[in-house]
Amino acid sequence: MTTRTVAEPRTASTSPRRRGATLSSRRQRWGWLFVTPFLIVFALFLVFPLVYAFGMSLFTTTLATGTAFTGAANYLKAFTDPLFLGGMGRVLLYAVIMIPAQLLVALAAALVLDTLATWLAKLTRLLIFAPYAIPVVIGALMWSFLYSPRFGPAATLFDFVGLATPDFLAPDTIFGSLVNVVTWQWAGYYMVVIYAALRSIDPAVYEAARIDGANGWQTAMHIKVPMISSSMVMVVMFALIGTLQFFTEPVVLRSVAQGAIDAAYTPNMYAFSLAFSYSQFNYASAIAFSLGILVFVGSYLFLFLTRKQSGLK
Amino acid sequence: MSTLSSTADETAAVGPRTTLTGLPARIDRGPRGSRGGRRTGGRRIGSHVFLVILAIYFVVPVWWLFVAATKDTAGLFGSPAFWFDGRFALFDNVAALFQYQGGLYWRWLGNSFVYAFAGGIGATALSVLAGYGFAKYAFRGRGAVFSVILGSVMVPLTALVIPTFMLLSQYGIINTPWAVILPSLLSPFGVYLMRVSAQDAVPDEMLEAARIDGASELRIFFQIALPLLRPAIVTVLLLSVVGTWNNFFLPLAMLSDPQLLPVTVGLNRWTALSNAGAGGEQVWNLITSGAFISVLPLLLSFLFLQRYWQGGLAVGSIR
Amino acid sequence: MKSKILAASGIVAIAAAALTGCSAGAQQAACTNTVVHPDAKQVSVWAWYPAFQDIADQFNNTHEDVQVCWTNAGQGNDEYTKFSTAIEAGSGAPDVIMLESEVLSSFSIRNALVDLTQYGANDVKADYTAGAWKDVSSGAAVYAIPVDGGPMGMLYRKDILDRYGIPVPTTWDEFKSAAQALKNAGAPGVLADFPTNGRAYTQALFAQAGSTPFEFDNASPAEIGIHVDDAGSKKVLSYWNDLVAQGLVATDDAFTADYNTKLVDGSYAIYVAAAWGPGYLSGLSDADSGAEWRAAPVPQWDAANPVQINWGGSTFAVTSQAKDKAAAATVAKEIFGTEEAWKIGIEKAALFPQWKPILESDYFRDLEYPFFGGQQINKDVFLRAAAGYTGFTFSPFQNYAYDQLTEQVYAMSQGQKTSDQALGDLQASLEQYATEQGFTLK
Repeated sequence: MTTRTVAEPRTASTSPRRRGATLSSRRQRWGWLFVTPFLIVFALFLVFPLVYAFGMSLFTTTLATGTAFTGAANYLKAFTDPLFLGGMGRVLLYAVIMIPAQLLVALAAALVLDTLATWLAKLTRLLIFAPYAIPVVIGALMWSFLYSPRFGPAATLFDFVGLATPDFLAPDTIFGSLVNVVTWQWAGYYMVVIYAALRSIDPAVYEAARIDGANGWQTAMHIKVPMISSSMVMVVMFALIGTLQFFTEPVVLRSVAQGAIDAAYTPNMYAFSLAFSYSQFNYASAIAFSLGILVFVGSYLFLFLTRKQSGLK
Repeated sequence: MSTLSSTADETAAVGPRTTLTGLPARIDRGPRGSRGGRRTGGRRIGSHVFLVILAIYFVVPVWWLFVAATKDTAGLFGSPAFWFDGRFALFDNVAALFQYQGGLYWRWLGNSFVYAFAGGIGATALSVLAGYGFAKYAFRGRGAVFSVILGSVMVPLTALVIPTFMLLSQYGIINTPWAVILPSLLSPFGVYLMRVSAQDAVPDEMLEAARIDGASELRIFFQIALPLLRPAIVTVLLLSVVGTWNNFFLPLAMLSDPQLLPVTVGLNRWTALSNAGAGGEQVWNLITSGAFISVLPLLLSFLFLQRYWQGGLAVGSIR
Repeated sequence: MKSKILAASGIVAIAAAALTGCSAGAQQAACTNTVVHPDAKQVSVWAWYPAFQDIADQFNNTHEDVQVCWTNAGQGNDEYTKFSTAIEAGSGAPDVIMLESEVLSSFSIRNALVDLTQYGANDVKADYTAGAWKDVSSGAAVYAIPVDGGPMGMLYRKDILDRYGIPVPTTWDEFKSAAQALKNAGAPGVLADFPTNGRAYTQALFAQAGSTPFEFDNASPAEIGIHVDDAGSKKVLSYWNDLVAQGLVATDDAFTADYNTKLVDGSYAIYVAAAWGPGYLSGLSDADSGAEWRAAPVPQWDAANPVQINWGGSTFAVTSQAKDKAAAATVAKEIFGTEEAWKIGIEKAALFPQWKPILESDYFRDLEYPFFGGQQINKDVFLRAAAGYTGFTFSPFQNYAYDQLTEQVYAMSQGQKTSDQALGDLQASLEQYATEQGFTLK
């Protein structure tokens, strides 16, 4: 029988164990037993609906002529649909800009908070995380008020400084406005994850660094960041998935920026409009699945590119 | 099978390094602090200023919400955004919340609580069981099933809404609380977190020893594993409750009876009402005060449960 | 730890039981109003009218064999989304549903609405204005009973126009001069707003110049005529584009908090409105304290041949998922078919009736509106507008058409294309959509 240390947990299947036929099948049974309750709900509320949605995407219902089986035609249409591709390009742009922005804020905040222990640090930690407690819908509603040319503080603030007030909801500024809303909403959550990772670094490492003559900045850049790289990869991974599926914030802000944000602004919004505004449920399913495929591909690509940092095999 | 959990284990297991790659071999001793990495002097002020800026940025909208909640509708549109109006109307607004549509707001708040806790506790229970099962039992197909579960995070919500609606319609539970609670029981991230912490916090030897002593699997689970998993359980519970509380799209699609709405969908309805032309009604003061009251429970619980979510989130992040 | 788990599961169990108890027979018992005769046939109704509870109570108290079970399932598009999903799922729709006339063909084409001619719709035809009846008909079929309408007029700020010595415009030429005069006088606001998301409003303005953008009959659902770039539309859009380009009107999105405030604080001197506009205006906050509003007929292109137009208006339709269609039809026909119901509708919900007995009554004609300084706005403006309105045909994909219209008008207002180009692009995109949806273009 082998003994294993806590520091290196391995999957049980790779360690030689006492294998009695009854023992291993008992393990199998219990394993499945523990997992089954979750799997039932998973099957019922994710797998079945997904399969049904996939089935729907293989048909086409037109308003005039009714339903017919069309196979992959919807997918062909999706991948040549300028609205879908445009929306996809847009969320990729958002990802490229928004994720580094959130990560930067979160990382900077976490690093600073890691080195300070004052009451200000504790308070800030709480305040940064506070937006996570606010539903995205309410957060977006708040920002739609704050962005309002009339009711928001922008006019007062900019007049105070003597600059012209920008229109936050115009087509050329809506991008930045949305980036701001999302950063505000999510940076705190990522900060807490990164902060927790930083807190778990063995202080002896810092001692060694100090002995070697590293200052704060060098410690941060050369020790801390590499050691939490797996957490950062995870944070970026979830941010990527979330951004590619960008939906709630643009939908809520659309009510005050109908010109700047159209019905197909992001692929997810396009799927939603197709289903609920235009009653094209089949094509909406195809769009949603196409988005899912691209998210899947994108995630695996990202994991592949960061395999060194994240330690994936 | 690749897991996201391997790297930090390796780094943590290697032990302190005495030399660092890429660092110039200077003998110059940096400023001494009692703990490595703490800045002194000017850097400190800079860090503090940075923190103050951050704190202001994150708190400004919440402050706006509080100030807005104390104004009546006329005051909302007439007075500056960040400071109070002449009239402190918070209590009037709260009273109005009791009166409007028969105090429907409080029903919404109650619904949110029920959905969040039922969904959150249920999701946690399922995640704990599943995570433990994945972590401690080597059953055939484990890797594939786990990958599928993790992969489900990538599924866009819009793909699921219509089929879920049809499914729940068939079971006759559409437009009932179950339509919101049952789908909320799914927390793939919770399963991931529980698996990872079960792997780390529950040593196999303990389980083996208990088995040798003749304990049943269930007993081992309840009496050995669960106490060790407590921090992670609290984290998953917190995340699930918050997630279900903040859920918007699911109840929006599944519920049509105004009595069953959670507070997120309810406030959205009031916003549509206030923006509408024909048949509309201006209830902005109710929306702002309602929104403010609705974020209080979560904000306060974050304040008081700090050590749980700060400590607990560590479990999932560092491994 | 075990006890904690047990405690937690106990809480869940109790909560679940409480919820199940509350929701037992949820679909049956979830009426917001009171059901007076429980053994009568129950008809479920979705409606979002203000003060509808009183109207439902009124019906329930006066009908022993049929009872209304009302829920507010959301406003406008929110309700349509739920209805659409219920249609797709095959269940979950109410028996009677409130639908704006512009979306009727979108639902009738999916066979979601019952043709009410088999349930005595034509018996009540004489009680409604010609325009209102046309809006709910498609060929020989009738898919809903009209409730309220939005005949259009012009609401203006007498104090602002007087202050700058501007006469009240009666034609669109005069409207343009008035806008110019207001600007020349250096007034802080503009004459009016031209919202790019005007949707039905914009389309009504086009209709006034003779545009008939769609030809559609639900009896031949595979055919459609699309002429959104006809002469009428071009004339009107070019007119407004001109005003926008010269800064004589604003282009703020309608129905936002900003817009609501601007309506009443003097940023716009004129609000070209539907008959539900007065109710809307009087409910808005932050109004100018010295404001004096009056109503006048909508400006005309040709003073000698006035054309009346309509913006909005809702109806009650019977859905094909209704279990007892005859009972549902009775509700649809009779719920807004009494004077008592309409007194509530007019006074509490600010609805404009399409039901002739009250529309043409002395009570309604002579009604004085304090918001308009006691002016009898129905007599002066809206009755004529309602009587002169001849109806409109909407497309079976009106939501899509409106979204496209908004996009094109927005692009035009940003200077990206001319008005003719915008309409041409709109025509092209709608034709493409219709073809994709299997329609044959007429």
